[in-house]
Amino acid sequence: MPVYNLCMRIIRKNIPSLLIYLFVFVGVSIIVSSSSANPQKAVNEFTRKKADIAFISKDDSPLIEGLRNEIGKIANFIDIPDNKGDLQDALFFRRVVYILRVPEGFAQKFIAGEEVFLEKTFVPGSASSAYIDLSVDKYLNTAKFYLEHMDNISQEGLVAYLNDTLSEEATVTVLPARTKTNLSNLAYTYNYMAYSLSSILILGMSAIMMALNDKDLKNRMSCSPISGTKSNLQFFLACLTFSGAAWLVQIIACFILDLENVMTLNTVFFIISSLVFTFCGTALGYLIGSIVKGTEAIPAITNVVVLGSCFLSGVFVPAELLGKSTLKIASFTPAYWFVKANNQIAQLSQFDLSSLKPVFSDIAVIFCFASAFFALSLLIRKTKRYN
Amino acid sequence: MIVKVRNLVKRYGDLIALDHLSFSIKEGEIFGLLGPNGSGKTTAINCILSLLKYDKGEIEVFGEPMTPEAYHIKRNIGIVMQNVAVFNELTVYENIDYFCGLYIKDKNLKKQLVEETIEFTGLNEYRNFRPKKLSGGLLRRLNIACGIAHKPKLIILDEPTVAVDPQSRNKILEGIRKLNSKGATIIYTSHYMEEVEQICSRIMIIDKGKAIATGTKEELKAMISLGEKITVESYDVSGEQLARLKQLPNIVSVEYSNPLIEIKSSKGKNNLENVLEFIKKENIPFGKIYSELPTLNDVFLEITGKELRD
Repeated sequence: MPVYNLCMRIIRKNIPSLLIYLFVFVGVSIIVSSSSANPQKAVNEFTRKKADIAFISKDDSPLIEGLRNEIGKIANFIDIPDNKGDLQDALFFRRVVYILRVPEGFAQKFIAGEEVFLEKTFVPGSASSAYIDLSVDKYLNTAKFYLEHMDNISQEGLVAYLNDTLSEEATVTVLPARTKTNLSNLAYTYNYMAYSLSSILILGMSAIMMALNDKDLKNRMSCSPISGTKSNLQFFLACLTFSGAAWLVQIIACFILDLENVMTLNTVFFIISSLVFTFCGTALGYLIGSIVKGTEAIPAITNVVVLGSCFLSGVFVPAELLGKSTLKIASFTPAYWFVKANNQIAQLSQFDLSSLKPVFSDIAVIFCFASAFFALSLLIRKTKRYN
Repeated sequence: MIVKVRNLVKRYGDLIALDHLSFSIKEGEIFGLLGPNGSGKTTAINCILSLLKYDKGEIEVFGEPMTPEAYHIKRNIGIVMQNVAVFNELTVYENIDYFCGLYIKDKNLKKQLVEETIEFTGLNEYRNFRPKKLSGGLLRRLNIACGIAHKPKLIILDEPTVAVDPQSRNKILEGIRKLNSKGATIIYTSHYMEEVEQICSRIMIIDKGKAIATGTKEELKAMISLGEKITVESYDVSGEQLARLKQLPNIVSVEYSNPLIEIKSSKGKNNLENVLEFIKKENIPFGKIYSELPTLNDVFLEITGKELRD
């Protein structure tokens, strides 16, 4: 198969320039996968941090002492003089995030079932304040529960019950299983293939096409005993081999970088979408190779076409951050549908027909692009031949 | 007959590129197609190779009609195009290997033929060079190597020495003679009459798509009235003396372009002697004096009224 071997030789000569794109892909994938490790840690681990608060009590009862001890588990008490100016300054300068004032006789009235209020001042929107609030509510609600169901209970007895009850803690374990973050990072890696794979395919295909489209070489080939049909078949076989190899190398890189998700159904669909996108990239390379005349123009055209469509389609910047009109323009590029399909695959947790339908329709659009590019290339080549 | 062309007509719109061209080539010949640029040499070659569709006529190669699908015929033809047709991405060796591989399937035989061709064309030192690093002459040699590596029975060389230095040209011509001596029939097109005269056993002169003369170089020269061309270098000759010179027997024309007097004579004896006697008698001072036999250019000039290189 001389034409097949020739195409493979031309590809081999272009491997150094093609490898650049592969290295960029692997590099970006490594960065993405390592950055994804940190949010995973944040989900799996929890560290309790104490908030700084001021606790001003005008009631020295055991119940309030118990409340102070309970809050003390999640807060540091800061001594601040009990006057309005000092307390406001402390809040403003964030020396404390919460001020709790217990009025005189609070415990007695609370036990008697009268309506009483704690005075609280806090930094608006502070998560620590909300946490302290919850703790106070929990303490007093539990105390109320005991008071309603136990007659003649002393304050000391009540505090003992409260301490016993509130010391019980539930252990929550966050499983390090697949999370949405993990899969969306995987989607990003596959999305990035839209750049690296397209670039590799266009450069490789154009290199072959440039060599074979030379008029003198075409004439020379026509004088040989190899028929046009045989020659074309060998050419297409070489293109398939090259595209398949380029796709396989990147898929293997994806697998190595994310071994965790290799055996999931999501990965199967990522593979399908990337395979269809590979056909599309090959057809686009065939089209560009049919149009472009000089080899010097190919890297420039590749960059304009691939980078342009990738920027518009949300390969580098998430699609959510792009404007509606930008996405509308991007919908005329196959990269947009590839990214859309991958993002949808990342969201899949059920694999029934209704969940898969949007994914398949996006993949079908990519296939339509591939067919259109291929048909256009054939038309251009035929027109050129007649001219 | 290796090649037989009958009444070949090829038109490009209103322009007639080949006008009822007919010729035949015998086995073992070096057949020269001589004509100025645009005379139809390459068009004729392209029609023989079925690269061009022609309007009328018949072409037979190896006794069979030549068609674009006649792959068994193409297998025995080697073609060296006018423009160098090699792959810039491949080395010298890889290019020859590729073109040889289009004809030869057996890997060992192909390897042997490629090595022989590299040796034959003197490209051994450059086997790992890419075409862009080769000089014009070496590039032409590579072009030839790609065309002949499979040892074809018929080799078509379309102006293979265009833009080649004299040293490389001589090597190429020498190589073509060697190929012929090994049994290959050769069709050689050129607008360089010296080359054609030097290597071709039979020549066809074409102009405006028509064959104007065919034969060996001796036969072609015998077709014209010009017998001898005498050139005299002189700085001091009058118009009257030139007019008297023209009166001498067999003298056809006398032209003076200071300092050279160009005298053309028809076939006859003692033409140079008569001119020398006249110069002596008239006391015309002269530097050099020499006589030349007619060239193919003179043949072309006499038949068409214009120079071959116009």
